[in-house]
Amino acid sequence: MEKQKFIAHAKEGKILARKCINCGNLHLVTVYFCEKCGKKAFDDVILDGQGSVETYTIMTVPPTGFEKYAPYAWVVMSIDNVDLRISGFLPNIAKPEDLPIGTKVKISGFDNRGIILEKP
Amino acid sequence: MEKVCVLGVGSTKYGKLEDSISDIAIQASVGAIESAGIESKEIEAGYISNVFGVADKQVHLGPVVMSNLGISDKPSLSIESACGSGSVSFREAFANIAAGFYDAVLVTGVEKVTHTGTEWTTTYFSYCSDFFYEGQAGVSFPGLFASMARAYINEFNATEEDFARVAVKNHDNGLLNPKAHLRKKITIDDVMNSDIVASPLKLYDCCPFSDGASAVILCNQRFAKEHGGNYIDVIGSGRGGSPAALQAREHLTTIPSTNIAAASAYKMAGITAKDVDFAEVHDCFTIAEIIDTEDLGFFEKGKGVEAVRDDQTSLNGKIPINPSGGLKSKGHPIGATGVGQVVEVYDQLTGNAGERTVKNAKIGLTHNFGATGASCAVHIFQRV
Repeated sequence: MEKQKFIAHAKEGKILARKCINCGNLHLVTVYFCEKCGKKAFDDVILDGQGSVETYTIMTVPPTGFEKYAPYAWVVMSIDNVDLRISGFLPNIAKPEDLPIGTKVKISGFDNRGIILEKP
Repeated sequence: MEKVCVLGVGSTKYGKLEDSISDIAIQASVGAIESAGIESKEIEAGYISNVFGVADKQVHLGPVVMSNLGISDKPSLSIESACGSGSVSFREAFANIAAGFYDAVLVTGVEKVTHTGTEWTTTYFSYCSDFFYEGQAGVSFPGLFASMARAYINEFNATEEDFARVAVKNHDNGLLNPKAHLRKKITIDDVMNSDIVASPLKLYDCCPFSDGASAVILCNQRFAKEHGGNYIDVIGSGRGGSPAALQAREHLTTIPSTNIAAASAYKMAGITAKDVDFAEVHDCFTIAEIIDTEDLGFFEKGKGVEAVRDDQTSLNGKIPINPSGGLKSKGHPIGATGVGQVVEVYDQLTGNAGERTVKNAKIGLTHNFGATGASCAVHIFQRV
């Protein structure tokens, strides 16, 4: 249920998160109890799916279904203005020079490759 | 709490094996029973760890192993916790002996995947990640650890050559281990020139996919003394967890479950990291060994690379890491690995490690985790 809402937002380039009413800790919407204080009451927060590359890899030996995209990157993105990260698939990256740490990236959609990122 | 001991061990060679998954599991189990000098009927329960039995058409391995040992009436538990299955299985056995439920049990770990090929294993292993955020988005396990490696290089004074040193060291050790999968001396250049799998990790930064089985007999101290064979004491056992997805971790260069499991195991043993003479750690990739040795408290954060550069983790170093060759050279049959580490510690502490013996060792530690360390177990052993 929550995951379907998350996917619908990702398709619009947004991240559906939730803020703990008790302690303010921010989580992705797919978490049901606050990791910090254990409470289960949250406010929905819709974040812009924009941020910067915190780390990544360039995949040259891909799992099944990804052969035609290789090489591509898988990125851990630090979301702008909040203490939260998200990771996803970033096509058309062949060498580290294409994606220095800190590069600005954003969510461009969601499909059978999960969260799709792009360089704006 | 009952004192818990390892009374005997058995293991197949690790590598590409012809026999079936159940056959190798049984071979290792028979080896452990003979090594312990007991009869199979003295075993009260079995803990059988495996991940991809489906690849060799046999899941629910517990009863199959027990039936072939002539103890089909005894309970068994078939356990999956990704690459940490073996140590998780060992921990459950430990807890049941410590609690007094059983006097003696069998712990067997097994994996048989090499016949499936690299694409199958890369794909199916990725199902051990937090699939929605990771495997689904095309990242493999080499890719996840490569992401940690890049974060480590970015945060600390480390190079890809430093990672290569871990592979060279573990291959040197594995060369002395007759049961190791990759018995081959390699150089830093060999690692640096090997094909890129997931940058910055290259083929020789990665452990192999292996077949293999390892088994131990775990019992209480009274049972061990009555049977009179060589045994070692299990003096610490700890487990911990981490966020399943890398993105949810506070730091990308540390594995929280290792910190938690190690703290718990050290506390139970009444020792600190300084008291450990050698360790078998989870070096599925070269970067993992560096992070492990820091998370276990052997070195400060960011200093694990210097320790490798200074040969502190070599067989004759200050704290030998992976004298068996580790996952990198000994091999990584994922359901067996955690049990195989205990086999190595037993061999080291009972004088059966041959040329790779760590001199004057009294205390050995095993560290094994599942996935990117989402689950972890640490155990500490002492020579009797």
